[in-house]
Parts: sequence; structure tokens; C-alpha cells
Amino acid sequence: MTLTIDRRQLLAGMAATLAFSSIGLSRANAATAMRLLWWGSKERSDRTFAAVKAYQIKNPDITIAGESFGWDSYWTRLATQTGGGNAPDLIQMDYRYIFEYARRGALLDMTPYFGKSLKIEDFGPANIDSGKVDNKIYGVSLGVNSSMVVVNTAAWNEAGVEPPRDGMTWEQLGDACAKVTAAKKRRGFYGTADASGGEPAFECWLRQRGKALYTADGKLAFEAKDATEWFDFWGHMREIGACTPADVQALDQQTLETDMLVTKKAAVSYAHSNQFVAIQGLVKEKLDLVAYPSNPGSKPGQYLKPSMLMSVSATSQNKDAAVAFVNYLVEDPEGTKALGVERGVPPSKKIRDLLTPDLDPVSKQVVDYIGRLTPHVGPLPPSPPNGAGENAFLLKKIAEEVAFGKTSAQDAGTKFTEQAAANITRG
Amino acid sequence: MRVETAYKAPSAFARNAPGYLFLLPWFIGFFGLTLGPAIASLYLSFTDYNLLQSPNLVSMENYVRIATADDKFLSSMKVTLFYVVCSVPLKLAFALLVALLLNRGIKGLPVYRAIFYLPSLLGSSVAIAVLWRQIFDADGIVNTLLWYAFGINGPSWISNPDYSLYTLIILAIWQFGSPMIIFLAGLRQIPTDLYEAASLDGASKARIFFKITLPLLTPVIFFNAVVQTIDAFKAFTPAYVISSGTGGPIDSTLFYTLYLYQEAFGYFRMGYASALAWILVIIIAIFTAFSFLSARYWVHYDD
Repeated sequence: MTLTIDRRQLLAGMAATLAFSSIGLSRANAATAMRLLWWGSKERSDRTFAAVKAYQIKNPDITIAGESFGWDSYWTRLATQTGGGNAPDLIQMDYRYIFEYARRGALLDMTPYFGKSLKIEDFGPANIDSGKVDNKIYGVSLGVNSSMVVVNTAAWNEAGVEPPRDGMTWEQLGDACAKVTAAKKRRGFYGTADASGGEPAFECWLRQRGKALYTADGKLAFEAKDATEWFDFWGHMREIGACTPADVQALDQQTLETDMLVTKKAAVSYAHSNQFVAIQGLVKEKLDLVAYPSNPGSKPGQYLKPSMLMSVSATSQNKDAAVAFVNYLVEDPEGTKALGVERGVPPSKKIRDLLTPDLDPVSKQVVDYIGRLTPHVGPLPPSPPNGAGENAFLLKKIAEEVAFGKTSAQDAGTKFTEQAAANITRG
Repeated sequence: MRVETAYKAPSAFARNAPGYLFLLPWFIGFFGLTLGPAIASLYLSFTDYNLLQSPNLVSMENYVRIATADDKFLSSMKVTLFYVVCSVPLKLAFALLVALLLNRGIKGLPVYRAIFYLPSLLGSSVAIAVLWRQIFDADGIVNTLLWYAFGINGPSWISNPDYSLYTLIILAIWQFGSPMIIFLAGLRQIPTDLYEAASLDGASKARIFFKITLPLLTPVIFFNAVVQTIDAFKAFTPAYVISSGTGGPIDSTLFYTLYLYQEAFGYFRMGYASALAWILVIIIAIFTAFSFLSARYWVHYDD
């Protein structure tokens, strides 16, 4: 858990609140103290505080107290604060949760500010829509992101196999990975991580076959047969020794630190492009990022999504000031410069062009990847229904059952579709 | 003139007022942080509360689902019961064994006591669970030892559903310090003249243990058993850390409390989680009541 509170700002904020309330000023005057909550690394905290500081110098009547947590504790904290009527004014939001929060009335509808104090027209429709729920703007994208295949180039060269590249087929990837395992250059080392329990990989596979995870009206958009074929494919990968065996893969807790590539158990793994910089930071060897495999004639599987969004609480007393700060983070040269590409590639082209020349080589790799991928992506999938969050864990569990040989791929496909459907009905 | 007649005895409350004043923090804590939330949770267990919207009453729906349609309730209860049934007796037996050894008057007793107690102090901390993860990892200490001592290539204990729960049971047994200290105190209470009389009569050591030590220790065993059982039902931190909160692989370490936590904070089903919590209260109450009922047949008090 990381906890970073800028004490001086917090104290200043509290002092200001106390002072105003004690002399009985109206709410509007006291409304200049805001709270901002986000999850992420030390790097992100430093950048965020830098942006806040720059903003406060320009706007001396506004104080913003910031707090940061690790991913897990963040959602517990946010849910509790929101439930307790004490939500922060500014909320870093994830695409996975925005529908739950927006539909439950916890977030501010920012549509009325669009084009006025929220000048994000140059994001383009796709990036604006990524913060929309039921056609209203509840979040503003802080960066563009997509899924990716991470490649440990050094390990591939060592094994004497040509590393994966954009546009290869699933079979080609499997065969190449099997060769890396067979080369046995490192102890307990495999070609690829087992992605059968990873939702982004499964989703990409479905979309390439013209299916999806969910329909626009919140039902499953795939059949048991699709899931079975997915589990079968990874069963084949295990058979030919291309991917990590079950008990190694189960060590992956879906965090960067336990990722199979980071823990040096596989030469390929799967993550999101804004995580590339962090993964490269954890691994000494040179990494590369490429698109997911696709079979000839298949539909686009990947899509661009917001790495994270900035939302405003529906109960905020400082709605206008909060929206103005959101705009500062994504459209002001000063604010965006402070944030860099740590939260993904800036959605505004103007800002992107402004930032790119000063980027480090690893960040440039990410910007380049998004550029390469953009012509080949499909539309952002429809909003997932309530309860969809549980299905990501369900997929991991059932994929593990197949990998450990406790369930056949056939039964697993049926089981997954039935339970996933039941979870979203329950909400 | 006698002053005493003018003296009026203060009321009981006035006399005890300073006492109540000093107890006030505890009262605030008990009513504000324990009883209040407990009552609120009982109410919420009959609602569909999701933290973000105000709760709607759904009558018995949550409980009906738990009883009839929740596979995870059953599987997590099975994991928890297995954990309780395995870890509590083993932990108590181990604690008693160490207490008996320490009771034989070795030099430096306080040092040993402190060393043995240490794991219990650190017990439910995240640090220990993380350490445990590393010990039983595929390349952890256990497998390294197995490899060098026996040439066995061990599995990854924590990531194999066939073994993962056992590593948590071993962790629980290792934290035997607190029942051990209580056993040690109990052993000190047994009058030495009983032992002297027994050894004069030529009783064997085993006989002395089973006829004197064990019967006189039963109240302490009973106390430890009840406390440890309740603790084991509530076990959370080790499972949470070892599986990163997932209860995996394949729900093999999905403790009841972990499932409850997932429902509450993972999927925002506060009402349902409250119902799960109350079911746990009832189960623990039944176990405790059963212990007390059975106690009259095997616990001997000094009379």
C-alpha cells in the first residue's frame, strides 16, 4: 500500500475549512478546498503533486489536498468514502468501474461543461466517448491505452528464435513460444505466460471472431462454444510446452510484480500499454511491445481505451472548480507537462505533439505502439453491465481449473458462460 | 453540634462518577464502534445496500440465497471448517508440548518464552504472510531444502490447489505462542504436592501426565480451544495476502471472511455481505455453545 499525503496542503486545506466555517462564511466562499484521490506509483504521485502545485500558484484561492493508495486499497477506500457521503471532489476513475459509479449516481454529469470550461473537443469522438456512460460525460480520459503483448527481446535472441511481431497468427505465436521453451536456455523458463485466465486476451480473441464480452444491453455476447475453443487453444499451448504450466501460472496474482515476464518465468506476457514503462523499470533486459496475434481475415480485436479517467463526485460542493481543474490536467500545457505520459498517451493531439519531443526512449516506444496500432483497432466495446467485475475473476478461476486438469475445456466453456450470465443478472 | 448529621451520603452514581468518566472512552468505543455498527449491519443484511445508493429492504432474500443458491458460500465454508478442524487441535497440541518442555525449569526460560511467543505477536501481520509466501514459493526455502536434502523437485506449495490450504494451516500452527503462554501459566497453577505424592507412589511419567496434569489443565484447554476456534473462523490476513485477495488458486484458500470481503468491497454487495457476516456470527455462536455444553463432561474445576 502506498500512502502519500502532502501534509502541508492537507493542513492548509483543513485550516482553511476551519477558518471559513468558524467565521460563518457561506459555502461558496469556503468551496475552494478540494480533495483529490488516485491510485498508483511514487512516480505518479510526484507528477500529480507537481501539477497541483503549479495550479495553486496560478489560483491562490484554491487548495487541493491529494491522497494516493495502491490499486486494491484504493477501491475499498473510495467505496467507503463514497458510501459514507464523504467522497473526494476529484476521483481518478477506471474504465472498469466508471459504469458502476456513474449508474449508481456517485459521479457528476460533466456534459453541461463540455465546450465551456471543459475544452476537450480535440480529443476526437472516440476518446470523449470513452468517458461516457449512457451518453453522458462522467469521466475525462487522462491517457490513451490499449492491450499489448510484452516481449523480452533478449530472451528470444538468446534462444535463437525470431521474436513476435505485429500481425502474427495465434498458431505462429504458439509455435515460436514452444521453440523458446525447448531451447532451455534458462531454468524453469517458458515461451509465454498462460493467458487463458486473462480477460483482455479473451476479449480480443472474441472480438476477432465477431463476438464480444457483453452486448450493449448488458448480456453475454459470446457462447459456451467460444469459451471452450479458447480453453482448448491454451490446452494445446500447454501440450506443446509453449506456455507456463498451471502451478507456475497460478503465482501470477495479476499485479506487475508477479507478472510471468517480470518474475523471469516467461519470454512473453500480456498487459496494458501504459504499464510498459513500469514493466521495463522492473526488468533489466530490453523489452518490446507488439499487438495481439490475429488470424488472417479476422476482425480487429483490440481497441483504444482510456488508461484512466478523471471524474468529479456528484456530491462535490465545488463542482465548477473541480471541472476547471480536470480541464487543467488534460488541456493546459503546464498541467499536462507535469503529468507526462505516465497515465497513458495524451488524448489531445495538440498536447501529444507538445510532449513527444522531450520523451525518454521507453515512453517513445509506447507512443509509437499506439500510433502503429490505431489503424487496426475496432470500436470501444459497449459499457459492461453491473457485476461484470466479478467475471474477470471467474475467468481466472475456471481457466485454472482447466490448467490443473480439474475440469475439461468442454465443461469449462459451459460453466463459465452460465456463471458469468448469472453474475451480471445479479448485478 | 455534630457535623455528621448534616453530612449526606453521596448517591451511588455520584460516588462512582469518576469511574464512569474514566470508562467513557471505552463506552464510546463499545457503543459507537462495536454495538452501533453491529446493529446497522443486521439491518443492512435485509437490504440490497451497495454503498453508493440508499438501501432497499428485500426481506429475507439475502438469507434465502445463502441457503439455496450460493455455491461459493458452501465452498468457502468447507475451506474454513477444514482449516478450523485441522489447525486448532494441532496448534493446541503443539502449544501444550512446548509449554510442558518449558515448564521443566530450564535456564533462560523468559528468553525461550519470548522467542516462542514472537510468531504470535507478528501473527496476523502482512509481513509474516509475505514471508510465508516466499518460504513456500516454487523457488522458496522449502523447495531448496527438499532439493538439497532429498533431491526432490517440490511443487509450488502456495500456487497448487492441492497444497495451498495446508501451508496456511502450518502457518497457523507455527503461531502457537499465545495458547502456549496460557498453558504455561496453567501448568504453574497445579500444586506440586500432587506430583510429589504421585512420584512417592511410584507412578510413571505418562500416568502422572494423564491422571494429574491433563485433568487439572482442562479448564485452560477449554479456554484455549474456545478462543482459538473463534480466531480460526475469523482468519483473514494470511489468506488475503497469500492469494492477493482472490482465494485462489481455484478457490482453495477462499476463507469465509475473504469471500465476505470480496462481496462487500469487490462487488459492492454490502447487504449480502452483512447477511454472510451474521451467518458467521450464528455459526460461531453454535460452535461456542456446543463447546460449553460439552465442557461439563470433560472440564474439571478444582473442587
